[in-house]
Amino acid sequence: MENKLKRLTQILLILFGILSLRLVQLQLVQGKRYARLSDRNRIRKIILPGPRGRIFDRTGKLIADTRPSFTVSVIPTEMDDSTLPVLARLLKLEPEKLNRLVKPIAFMSSPVKVKRNLDRTTAFAIEENRFRLSGVRISVDPVRSYPTAGLYCHILGHLGEIGRQELKKDTTHRLLDYIGRDGIEARYENLLRGHDGCEYIEIDARGHEIGPLPEKRSAPAVPGKDLYLTVDQRLQGLAYRLISQYDKAAVVGIEIKTGAVLCLASRPGFDPGIFTQAISPKTWDSLVSNPNKPFFNRAVNAGYPPGSAFKPIVALAALNQGIVTTRTRFKPCSGSFHYGNRIYKCWTRHGSLNLLGAITQSCNIYFYQLGLKLGLDSLVSFCKSLPLGKPTGIDLPTENPGIIPSRKWLDSRYGKWTKGILLNFAIGQGEILVTPLQMALTYAAIANNGKYHEPYLLDHIDSAGKTIRNISTTKHEIRSEPEYLDQIKLALERVVEHGTGKIARLKEITIAGKTGTAQNPKGLDHAWFVGYAPAEKPLVVFAVLVEHAGHGGVVAAPIARQLIRRYFSIETP
Amino acid sequence: MKRPDLKIIVPTLLLTALGMLIIYSTGGRHYLIRQLLFLPVALAGMFAAYAIPQRVFHDMAGLLYGVILLLLVLVLFFGKGIGSKRWFMLGPVAFQPSEFAKLATVLLLARSLASCRNPLFTWKTLFVPSIICLVPAILVITEPDLSAALVLAVILASMLYWAGFRPLHILLLFTPLISFAAGFSLYTWIPFFVFLGIIMLIRTNLFRTLLALLVGSLFGLLSPISFSLLKVYQRARIRNFLAPWLDPHGVGWNAIQSRIAIGSGRLTGKGFLSGTQTRLGFLPNRHTDFAFSCVGEEFGFIGSILLVGLFALIIHRFLIAARFSRDSFSSLVGIGCAAILSYQVFINIGMLLGLIPITGVPLPFISYGGSSLVLNYIIVGLILNFATKPQ
Repeated sequence: MENKLKRLTQILLILFGILSLRLVQLQLVQGKRYARLSDRNRIRKIILPGPRGRIFDRTGKLIADTRPSFTVSVIPTEMDDSTLPVLARLLKLEPEKLNRLVKPIAFMSSPVKVKRNLDRTTAFAIEENRFRLSGVRISVDPVRSYPTAGLYCHILGHLGEIGRQELKKDTTHRLLDYIGRDGIEARYENLLRGHDGCEYIEIDARGHEIGPLPEKRSAPAVPGKDLYLTVDQRLQGLAYRLISQYDKAAVVGIEIKTGAVLCLASRPGFDPGIFTQAISPKTWDSLVSNPNKPFFNRAVNAGYPPGSAFKPIVALAALNQGIVTTRTRFKPCSGSFHYGNRIYKCWTRHGSLNLLGAITQSCNIYFYQLGLKLGLDSLVSFCKSLPLGKPTGIDLPTENPGIIPSRKWLDSRYGKWTKGILLNFAIGQGEILVTPLQMALTYAAIANNGKYHEPYLLDHIDSAGKTIRNISTTKHEIRSEPEYLDQIKLALERVVEHGTGKIARLKEITIAGKTGTAQNPKGLDHAWFVGYAPAEKPLVVFAVLVEHAGHGGVVAAPIARQLIRRYFSIETP
Repeated sequence: MKRPDLKIIVPTLLLTALGMLIIYSTGGRHYLIRQLLFLPVALAGMFAAYAIPQRVFHDMAGLLYGVILLLLVLVLFFGKGIGSKRWFMLGPVAFQPSEFAKLATVLLLARSLASCRNPLFTWKTLFVPSIICLVPAILVITEPDLSAALVLAVILASMLYWAGFRPLHILLLFTPLISFAAGFSLYTWIPFFVFLGIIMLIRTNLFRTLLALLVGSLFGLLSPISFSLLKVYQRARIRNFLAPWLDPHGVGWNAIQSRIAIGSGRLTGKGFLSGTQTRLGFLPNRHTDFAFSCVGEEFGFIGSILLVGLFALIIHRFLIAARFSRDSFSSLVGIGCAAILSYQVFINIGMLLGLIPITGVPLPFISYGGSSLVLNYIIVGLILNFATKPQ
């Protein structure tokens, strides 16, 4: 009896010992982990997306907005069997497709976005069917929209979903977040980005929200900063319209006194809004396969030979070298020029011209001889102080530096080269490559007694009612005597007065500028016009380039004329 | 009248009070009131069991057993339940005959074994006790209520041991049953057979060892066959015990959520009425079978270990009572009652702690349920009655 009692007591002790040890293990040893699991059970963290900052033009017109849009998300672990078919029907999606989307994330207990930019009707339909859609959430997310569609596309760039690789480096972004991919959106990503807030909500086992959690404080979403650009919608709109008749073209307008970019347009363009909508494969293909490359910003990223628009620069270099004066004459223009064993042509027979006349009439023969006299090294060294052959410093993510071919550059590229190459350079042809922005800036420097500012697009930031001006503009000066600049300015005035650019002439305002017709082996010449106004007290400079369009004086000059007319608010008669 | 053992009464009342708190916390006022209405019935049952002379129980054991068997048959035809037929609905009150079958079996078994003068391992001595357990066991399995059948096996084993049978013989008696249960998985079947083989070789001869292993493996082979005959929920329970992570939102959900509830209580618990697992519906059947999870969550390790300690104390006092009973019938009844209580406590808490599969066993004095409460109080009353000299 006593023995059996002892035995049974021992068994009892072992059994209760097991229970007690297990309690120690669960509650004391692993308690922290289970407490966390219990919290994860009942607490749902809800991300409150911080809206992206808006973008305005200089007059306060909205050009990039952030508006609420409905997003449907699912919490896979809270869905039941009937959820998917109902949701698919409401979203007008194939149940199969939705299933494939949700299957790989079936273990997740946090919301995963399924579809963005729901229309109002669908969003309300889902909300009404909520009781049949366990694990489905509708949230209102701020989404970028562009009220002016493609008008500012190359300035603004566009957004894109962040990639998985980028996410590894960037811990502040989440999967499916949008970030700036080009233009201002990319350049000022850090300013524009809103900072997500979060909210903790207690839920029950069925996933129904009970209410906010008092012990965990919510963090409010912080919107991104609003940017005000230097661009002027009146000019941008006109520039966009004027070049839209051409396949490939670019326009830049700059305020001379500050370097502020007033307009910057490139053809062809695109609507940046498609990136934040559900982009259809067809639209995407047509954009990507377009041989004219709609995403390419020709005003900043394309290099062109400047053609005759380069002649004033050559002339300025020669004047500063002291090898010519404005009255110097060379062998008269007979329409062609023999050098080495080649014949170099002019576009007409000019006869005898002095330097001013040669610029006004854009005589090649005069500039061949001037170029030979000036020499490559002097030309290149003069160009060093110009905004050519190097990035201008505009606040865009990418920029083509262009090429001013030096002796070293030619050596490394060709090994042996003849002096004949210099004849081409003197009329802005050959290996010289410039961007429309660089040309506008160069002419701004000529117009402004040799001084020019780094161009910029961001005027000021508006953050919570406080205005922060963008004062990063750097001043540069070209190495030229003021009197030579005045002489070139006179010549440019005459170009529009009665020279090759006379189509650009305006009664009310004196325009000064230079046409250019850049030869190119692949088709019609590129048409250039770079000009500023008023000639007496320059305020604004425009560079216009139209690819494969013919003569600069015919095609490009009228565009500049229209823009200057708009800038000075001269009504069309 | 003799003085009842306070070391049984006080823990019982403490546990009942804790049970009322937990029922309020998990089920709310509605279930608390219903349980409170059962309390006088249970107390009356205890007093009756305490006051009625022991002789009456001895003489009426057969009649009681017969009535319960009849009820167990009737419940198969008129019973109610979720996926099974376990209860009679008497108006608003559910009556579960399988609860009382345990006690009736204990009483008849005690009477049968008490008359057995020579506890030897023979067909004659083992036949009657085995049949007494087997008949109600088969009836409750038919309901189906597997855990209510298993308690009868535990009762039989412990009472045979108390009556003087050798543990080896009891092991041999249960070999078919154990090898059947172990046969569901090779991981349990092989260790059991190695254990059985070694024990048999040490204690008996080679011939008997081989015979036992042969009989055992025959029954072991039956279990994969019968596994396919099991109800879907029973199969799911076994599978989910072995691998709950396979289906975290299916049946395994209960096991995981119960462990999370208990574990997250940590040392001191989340506080009365503050258990989030319980409040927010993460626990199933939280006022009945899962009540202990709520104890663990709201009262923490301190509350849980106190509860386990109180049960250990009561059961230990049952054993003491059995030791100091006036005769062998009373003594055997004490052991049987200790087995009933131990089985329920260990199976219920063990399943909520993730030590054994989830089965439908309520926790005595804590879980909501009238039949269980009344039965357990009657058991306490019997023990108080049969104990002669509480030490």
